[in-house]
Amino acid sequence: MADLDHHLPAIAAGDDQAYARWLAGAEPELRAALRTFAATADTEAVLQEALLRLWQVAPRFTPDGRPNALLRFAVRTARNLALDEVRRNGHSASLEAGVLELEALGRDDAPEGPDPLLRRLILRCRERLARKPRLALDARLAAGGAESDALLSARLGMKLNTFLQNVGRARKALAECLRRGGVAVEETRP
Amino acid sequence: MIDPRAREALVEAAAGAWRPRRPGGGVGSHPAWHDLDAAGREEAFRATTLSRRLEAALDPEGLSCTARAVLALIRGRP
Repeated sequence: MADLDHHLPAIAAGDDQAYARWLAGAEPELRAALRTFAATADTEAVLQEALLRLWQVAPRFTPDGRPNALLRFAVRTARNLALDEVRRNGHSASLEAGVLELEALGRDDAPEGPDPLLRRLILRCRERLARKPRLALDARLAAGGAESDALLSARLGMKLNTFLQNVGRARKALAECLRRGGVAVEETRP
Repeated sequence: MIDPRAREALVEAAAGAWRPRRPGGGVGSHPAWHDLDAAGREEAFRATTLSRRLEAALDPEGLSCTARAVLALIRGRP
């Protein structure tokens, strides 16, 4: 993946737009690094907490000179938080797994930023969604994780379970549409 | 044995990006996640991963709802 550390000086200076650009590139790797905790910790909550803490410590972060130093630090932070959560949930775990994965976060020539072809295709796929799945999907997108599904479903006049069913239908329909367009989207690895 | 439709709803709820705040200000886990068994949690993780990828692909800045939620907290919005 691309070396995202070129955003680091601006992030350290408190530029949240730079953090947004870093997040866009880093999130898939961070989420994949939490894969082993999927059954024992709510990795979505862990990831959000790790990203909030990372923003707070970024001004004091010293890179080690290797590519993606901030991402590697973020992975360690997220895994440590996941371990805390695993223990809180009454399970046992260790951090031994995944050390090699951290070393693989080196620099390559992969482009950074959204893929314009994928975006064009997925926008077309969204246009083809049935009305209710599209309404549910659009409500989640507009909320950006800041509002609960109970609130969103009430606003749409849908029962919560119907809303959640429609969210699932939208995701499956988008993935199928992308697949027909030649883009394979896996569920295990972004 | 949990009803399949109820299970599906729990998976979808846990796969969303909204999370409650803890009393101390931290990000709390989703109540639906706790109601799932291990297989359901794995399924929720896969659904989450795909959802975030699709959200990012739909977003002009390439940001998923996870990233949007974190940025909203950083910028002081609820």
